[in-house]
Amino acid sequence: MIAFLAGLLGVCTVQSSVVPHLGIRGIAPDFFLVLTLATAVTVAPELATVMGFLSGLFQDALSGGPLGLHAFSLSLVAFLASRASLHLEADRLHGRFLLLLAGGILSGLVSLAAWNFFLGPRPILPALEAVVVPEAVYTALSGMLVLALPGLAHRLTERWS
Amino acid sequence: MLVLSAALLAAFLLMTVQVREQSDVPVAIKQFLLTSVSPLITVTALVGHGVASVWYDYIDLRRVHRENRRLQAEVFALRRRIDALQEGAEETRRLRQLLHLQETLSEPVAAARVIGKDPTNWFRTLVIDKGSRHGIRRNMPVIAVDGLVGRVVDVTPHTAKIQLVTDPLSSVGILVERTRVTGILAGDLAAPARIKYLPLMADVAVEDRVITSGMGGVFPKGIPVGTIRAVERRNGALFEDATVRPAVDFSRLEEVLVLREPPPELRPPNPVEGARR
Repeated sequence: MIAFLAGLLGVCTVQSSVVPHLGIRGIAPDFFLVLTLATAVTVAPELATVMGFLSGLFQDALSGGPLGLHAFSLSLVAFLASRASLHLEADRLHGRFLLLLAGGILSGLVSLAAWNFFLGPRPILPALEAVVVPEAVYTALSGMLVLALPGLAHRLTERWS
Repeated sequence: MLVLSAALLAAFLLMTVQVREQSDVPVAIKQFLLTSVSPLITVTALVGHGVASVWYDYIDLRRVHRENRRLQAEVFALRRRIDALQEGAEETRRLRQLLHLQETLSEPVAAARVIGKDPTNWFRTLVIDKGSRHGIRRNMPVIAVDGLVGRVVDVTPHTAKIQLVTDPLSSVGILVERTRVTGILAGDLAAPARIKYLPLMADVAVEDRVITSGMGGVFPKGIPVGTIRAVERRNGALFEDATVRPAVDFSRLEEVLVLREPPPELRPPNPVEGARR
């Protein structure tokens, strides 16, 4: 849990100050989602839900949206990812990509639904096309790369030693 | 399942309380969370600039090393000095423009640097390095040299969050400078911004300049907002829309000015109007 909190603080700073510069046509990867899913598949569903809630709460605090929007979606996504972790090959590259892609799309759809409920109707197809799908793909690719780095570093270290 | 239900219910209640009841509790929670991470964001922004300049200098150094080691070291030092001087000159040019703008404005202003951007792709906000200790309050308008940036939506002692005019939750009263047609500028997920509720057959054209109308009491009148990029008239609609290219390039925004005019709810009552009542 302490490692997760430290990672959350790191993601807060990186997502606000560095990641926007990696944006393509205004879409940047969502490392709050990456952190949440990466930890959710290694813990029990209840703890994963709490982690998702905290990640979303911090993301909402730094964002311009209402507090609770991403806390809602990330809680749900983390719970489902943890429950499904037994059936997912989350330690393999394709498994991670599918997990991040599905998580990103689900998170986007839940956020969009919450937005429509609380902040007024928003056209669904333009939101899917402009934000949900591009963000999910970019997050999946970036997250897959970032999550592979520790394993790669470990293998390189073993080879040198 | 109990924990999931509790988390979903808590998030649902937070959103309900904030959106429907306009409560201060979610605002206080947001301020607390933002205050807790804003020092890290400020430091990371500074470190990031330093790391980027070292990285680019290293690439230059490698390219020059292939040619001549001794001259490469000298070129490396000279390049760093030139880069630092150029960055300083560019910053001076931007700050001079801001200072000139500040001097031409009648309202008291606070200059601030952008230290962070919205961490989601749904909203468009910035974080600046000035807060309540510098006289910043909610709903204060924010401008740059080129035009309107947005308004202050959240404030901590040392930072503030700015809602850009391109944010989907933003609404700005505008008028088309040429024809004085009024409308509401709202951010959009697909386009940068749209003018809504334009009368049908309103006299608006591509490349028309758009400025603030002063209606709504938040933004002073006459601040450049952008230029019209396209006009859309749908069959059967009561109004027409226009997409707008913002005057400010938000992707390259580094400094802003906050107009420290008191927000409407804090302005002292007009003694003349009070007497009439």
